[in-house]
Amino acid sequence: MDEFQEILQDFLIESFELIEQLDQDLVELETRPDDLELLNRIFRVAHTVKGASSFLNFDVLTHLTHHMEDVLNRARHGELIISPNIMDVILESIDLMKALLNTIRDTSADSGIDVSGCVVRLDLCTKGYGDVEAPAAKPAAPKVAEKVIEEVAEEEPSSSDELDYDNMGADELEAEIERLLNERMAEDKARRVSKLSSGSSSKEEDDSKEEYEPIANIPVVVTPARKPASMRDDSDSMDDARAAAPAKKQSSVEQTIRVDVKRLDHLMNLIGELVLAKNRLIKINDDVEERYEGESFLEELNQVVSIVSIVTTDLQIAVMKTRMLPIGKVFNKFPRMIRDLSRELNKKIELEIFGEDTELDKSIVEEIGDPLVHIIRNSCDHGIEIPAIRLEQGKSETGTIKLKAYNEGNQIVIQIDDDGKGLDVEMLKRKSLEKGLITEKEADNMSDKEAFALIFKPGFSTAAVVTNVSGRGVGMDVVKTNIEKVNGIIDIDSEIGIGTSMKLKIPLTLAIIQALLVGVQEEHYAIPLASVLETVRISKDEVYTVEGRSVMRLREDVLSLAHIGDIFEVERILDSSEYAYVVVLGLGTSKLGLIVDTLVGQEEIVIKSLGEFLKGIDGIAGATIRGDGGVTLIVDVVAIMDMAKHVKSTALVDTTSDAAMLTHEKTKASDYTVMIVDDSKTDRTIMRKALEPLGVTLVEAGDGQEALSILKQGDYNFDAMLVDIEMPRMDGYSLATEIKKYNRYKNLPLIAVTSRTGKSDRMRGVESGMIEYITKPYSADYLMSVVQRNINFRSEFLK
Amino acid sequence: MSDKLKQIIKKQTQKENENLDHGEDVVQLVGFIIGDEEYAVPILSIQEIIKPFPWTRVPQVPKYIVGVFNMRGAVIPLIDLRLKFGLSPKKHNEDTRFIVMREGDDIAGFVIDRLTMAIRIKKSDIGPAPDTASGDETAIDGVGKQADKIITILKVKKLLKRDF
Repeated sequence: MDEFQEILQDFLIESFELIEQLDQDLVELETRPDDLELLNRIFRVAHTVKGASSFLNFDVLTHLTHHMEDVLNRARHGELIISPNIMDVILESIDLMKALLNTIRDTSADSGIDVSGCVVRLDLCTKGYGDVEAPAAKPAAPKVAEKVIEEVAEEEPSSSDELDYDNMGADELEAEIERLLNERMAEDKARRVSKLSSGSSSKEEDDSKEEYEPIANIPVVVTPARKPASMRDDSDSMDDARAAAPAKKQSSVEQTIRVDVKRLDHLMNLIGELVLAKNRLIKINDDVEERYEGESFLEELNQVVSIVSIVTTDLQIAVMKTRMLPIGKVFNKFPRMIRDLSRELNKKIELEIFGEDTELDKSIVEEIGDPLVHIIRNSCDHGIEIPAIRLEQGKSETGTIKLKAYNEGNQIVIQIDDDGKGLDVEMLKRKSLEKGLITEKEADNMSDKEAFALIFKPGFSTAAVVTNVSGRGVGMDVVKTNIEKVNGIIDIDSEIGIGTSMKLKIPLTLAIIQALLVGVQEEHYAIPLASVLETVRISKDEVYTVEGRSVMRLREDVLSLAHIGDIFEVERILDSSEYAYVVVLGLGTSKLGLIVDTLVGQEEIVIKSLGEFLKGIDGIAGATIRGDGGVTLIVDVVAIMDMAKHVKSTALVDTTSDAAMLTHEKTKASDYTVMIVDDSKTDRTIMRKALEPLGVTLVEAGDGQEALSILKQGDYNFDAMLVDIEMPRMDGYSLATEIKKYNRYKNLPLIAVTSRTGKSDRMRGVESGMIEYITKPYSADYLMSVVQRNINFRSEFLK
Repeated sequence: MSDKLKQIIKKQTQKENENLDHGEDVVQLVGFIIGDEEYAVPILSIQEIIKPFPWTRVPQVPKYIVGVFNMRGAVIPLIDLRLKFGLSPKKHNEDTRFIVMREGDDIAGFVIDRLTMAIRIKKSDIGPAPDTASGDETAIDGVGKQADKIITILKVKKLLKRDF
């Protein structure tokens, strides 16, 4: 059974690949119905699918493809001209074939789809021209496909008569077999003569062999009597082909490898880890550089770090490229769609495709298919006018839709232009007002660009009648959601009577992005750089309040503001400084100024999902792991712009209520708490001994970091701190600076206890916020009195 | 050296076999304390138990979800069971642990007050959850009876299910 599954998988992959090309070929065929090369290619697809499906016992599929093959075979021999009507039938049958293949993929069986109607129509096409005997003399080109026919003849009488042909009369069947056998005999002769004459044709034959051979090797169906013959036949021609074109065969085989997407995803994950490790290494390198300034080994370390960093970046790009697919994969289905639509809508529309080789990440290619379908349908239905009107307006009868893809910096731009009637701003506003999507006031203040964006509002539709094609007011909303899902933006431009141009700007890949890291209080957030237009530093008095909302003036415009802390409910522990930074976010036509406390910098981040449990949190698109191993959340710009509308602005308002916590009523000496920060145990003991007589509570910390974390835990309410200056990890000055950042510790007396006595040392102490400066050595009494003074020690507690 | 190893392995397998022999249907649990109560979860649903380390707060979620943390490259939610069970918050101390539990693809870390021990308990000694806390809504899987106490066995699946 496993073997069967494996074969089935191969069959499906091959078939889907073949069909992808098929649609385009067929549409092309309609314009050039006598292109034999094209016909042969199409015929081969039908044939290959038929052959394989009969081996795998997919009766319905075999039945259908067999009849398709008949029609195409007639056409190939010039016995049938492909008219649009016949083409419709062929296209219909191909759609059925796709549906059948999908069913097979999902259920491993091809039941449940009725093909009889289509088969009858196919038969009509075939019979309309009688059962003509194949012409005796044939040109060189169709010879290849003829070869394929022989094989059909070989297997049909054996494996097919119990499978298909159910609809055929016995006579018909006989005639068919007769015809094919005759054909083959005539062909056999012809081939022996011309076999070695043309290199290119034997190469092609080789191709058709390759498609066919694996099937012949499958030891399942096929009557044994026929099979050896077919095998010998195969090997004969294979030898011939090899003799004729050995070099070509070599170079065309080893070009590509089919790799499971899961493996690529895994590889991408590993690269992600590597990028994180690289970020971490760079951070450590910076730290080391700072600490060991001027040491000779630093240069070597620097070199290694930069090599690792470069190689990692290259590796990342290389792996990204393996995941890239040409966008042509998506574009391919549009010629067919345009053809169908123009017939349905009675319009003449031509599609021009540029840049189908432009490559995009596989996951994005999968996401943009649907939006493009909607956009193009929209252009056909609403954009392009009917031929009569076009002529009236002096345009050519045939409307043109241009589909372009190209790279622009770190983004891919997909541009859809039509030369239709364009978007009417007034009409868009009126319709939106009618449907209650916007208010009167909004409509008045709307720029043209904003008005164009109205077509993306859910429920919006300008079509007077709901047609098969559009008018349900769903499509363009889907476009917006899908494009935003891949962090893309949409840009519309339009002029009445001239046409509409829509640009989808999409990042190259999803997994790793450039981000701007911002800080608010003690938290960090990452904002995708693609949505950041600029950053500006403002002082508090530049913020105005209009109707309860904060705004600022940015050059000519008024920018609405929101504090990231309000959106993410950040607790305000730290004192906000006089300045704040505004990150101007832009998404399509809307803008928002996001106020943050600090700008940390730009970094390459790997997007990680928050998992099942936390997915879909408003405003959070995911998380990333930073160089220090911590997790930083990634801002969902789309959501945050929406949330900003509902957030009340408390921004930049000082809250000092926390300070009240410090002034508890003291009822006994031990209510006073003093922290001693010194890296020397001896020094700490000396201070402890000096202060113990006071009866105050004493807490010790070995260095600045420890002291800070004790403060943060908030287990004690400190009344004063004795701080040594020279300490490992974090010295006294930095500690003081850090402490002063916190609102609630702003007024905490810091007393430096140090052996540094220089004037500059004292100055630095004052700058960092120390209020007293005790030099070692000191007397116990002196220390006690200084502390007593600073904590307002009530004298009645003295024993 | 290899002889020694073999001996040890032999001993271990022997021991395991012994254990299997007399414990016909034994469930292995890990017990922990939240507030005043002892709870337990099946040992197989525990991926690891780690000492507390820094995490990142996540906005717009219920209070009991304290944030997310990085476990070797994976971003994992952290849930405070004290808050989830309606107790008052408590500062993390030396005994505090994060228990990372997994069920299928669902994974999360849980803050607990203190670990007790690994418990082997016979299936027959596990009673159903009390009537007042039964049905789909409860996180209680059953009640394990031991000589001197009873232990509430929690449904990992329920704990890992998003309920907001």
